[in-house]
Amino acid sequence: MLDLYDKIETAAAKIRESFPTPLHAGIILGTGLGGLADQIDVKASFNYEEIPNFPESTALSHRGRLVCGTLEDLPVVAMEGRFHQYEGYSLQQITLPVRVMKALGAELLIVSQAVGGMNPYYDSGDVMIIDDHINMMGDNPLVGVNDDRLGPRFPDMCAPYDAKLIEKGLEIARQQNFAAHKGVVVAVTGPNLETRAEYRFLRAIGADVVGMSTVPEVIVAVHCGMRVFGVSVITDMCLPDALEPADVEKIIAIAGAAEPKLRALVTGVLAYEAAKPR
Amino acid sequence: MVFQRSQIEEAANHIRAAWKPNPRVGIVLGSGLGSSVESMDVEVEFEYGDLPHFPRSTAIGHRGRLLAGELAGLPVIAMQGRFHLYEGYTPQQVAFPVRVMRGLGADLLIVCNAAGGLHSTYAAGDIMVIDNHINMMFQNPLIGINDDRLGPRFPDMSSPYDPALIQQAMGIACEHDFTCHRGVYIGMLGPNYETRAEYRFLRRFGGHVVGMSTVTEVLAAVHAGMRVLGLSMIANVATPDNLVATSGAEVVAVADRAANKVATIIHGIISQFGAELQERAGH
Repeated sequence: MLDLYDKIETAAAKIRESFPTPLHAGIILGTGLGGLADQIDVKASFNYEEIPNFPESTALSHRGRLVCGTLEDLPVVAMEGRFHQYEGYSLQQITLPVRVMKALGAELLIVSQAVGGMNPYYDSGDVMIIDDHINMMGDNPLVGVNDDRLGPRFPDMCAPYDAKLIEKGLEIARQQNFAAHKGVVVAVTGPNLETRAEYRFLRAIGADVVGMSTVPEVIVAVHCGMRVFGVSVITDMCLPDALEPADVEKIIAIAGAAEPKLRALVTGVLAYEAAKPR
Repeated sequence: MVFQRSQIEEAANHIRAAWKPNPRVGIVLGSGLGSSVESMDVEVEFEYGDLPHFPRSTAIGHRGRLLAGELAGLPVIAMQGRFHLYEGYTPQQVAFPVRVMRGLGADLLIVCNAAGGLHSTYAAGDIMVIDNHINMMFQNPLIGINDDRLGPRFPDMSSPYDPALIQQAMGIACEHDFTCHRGVYIGMLGPNYETRAEYRFLRRFGGHVVGMSTVTEVLAAVHAGMRVLGLSMIANVATPDNLVATSGAEVVAVADRAANKVATIIHGIISQFGAELQERAGH
């Protein structure tokens, strides 16, 4: 893990060449949620293969582009497309972009993902502000010799998601008149969707939604001292007693249709951040 | 895994060259519990770095040496500082010292750790004798081709922790008038502490304490046919409905204060084991 520091610096240096402004926030856009990037006043953009040490995005409906610019007058970078454990990447590789965002000055990580809803009171197309998570990926991005320059050996996880921003997110949804839940996401490796028995198990251990990303990035963000705002977009309902085969095209369509809600939450949270006294 | 046996032999031979006795007991000390063997009459000390095939300990509160000597009248070997999966070691590496202890002749393993309490009646500084464990580390030191000379392909886990030793340990705590629970240890990969949702899940599914070690070593010990006693020192109690931050330094500080309780149990168990051995030899 000790060579990680240099990898982060090399990648950050490449981005700084075209976009030297210190960042306020890094944004990760999940499956079908890339549209938000259009709202950024773009100053520079990179395909992932142009950034040293970045893996290449292979997942469906993920573009693989880092967009740098301003949103709500705050300097941000947004990842259109992310990396997943199921693509065969190590969790260290998956989370490298978060460390690069931190190195570029970001103190806030905004992370979004498409998930399956297990809480029966949720609906397909709803959004959930992430209150907490359960890591069932069987791995952890912090395994290895700890580099104390990056963060502590045993990071605390009592509140990985910023409580003020959770409240702010719920408030934005109320004001804009759409349903936003507050709940727990469980992360699994994938890539297969869960069996009915697995959904029952994951629901029983306390999760409201299930996804194949986000948790590694959040663990790393907490490790390096960033605040986190997480949004799950429920793209299909996974109710084990009435389970229908998942249709990836449909999931992406629902993500696209729900994307304006994500956009409202992200821009609203950034506007709140911009208005905060420094 | 077959190649590992020669590595075990090499490490054991290195120790034997400097220290002749056959240890009857192996001890693994956890975070901040290094002082639990202060009453040990140390004859030889080995830095992990000097022992063939031993990884180096990188965790805080872990000293990184192997002590050989006498405790409560028996030759013992004690690890001051252990290896963890979260340090990036393979489970085979983590369990390697236990294999070496077994190779040197130890038939009893006492394994200690600092753990987070999940049970609401536990308090920081309490001791819990491990009755059972749940492996939530997603790793197992026995994966690979099995070397039948080391142990069976499918080791039984119906009672990995020796019931007689559990009783003895509870008795010793009672005699010395300190709180000692008996419960289930959940082994997590770490290195981050758990989220509130994770604490709730682990508690609901039968865990009394949660930690980032022990299970790997115990799996290897049971595989190798050793009797095992596990001791958890409750470093803090997770209260997911009102969670406060946990720090590694805090864990080590509580462990320092509770180390004497662990020392008392270790001493008592080895004394009783010594008496048993004498009785057996006498018959």
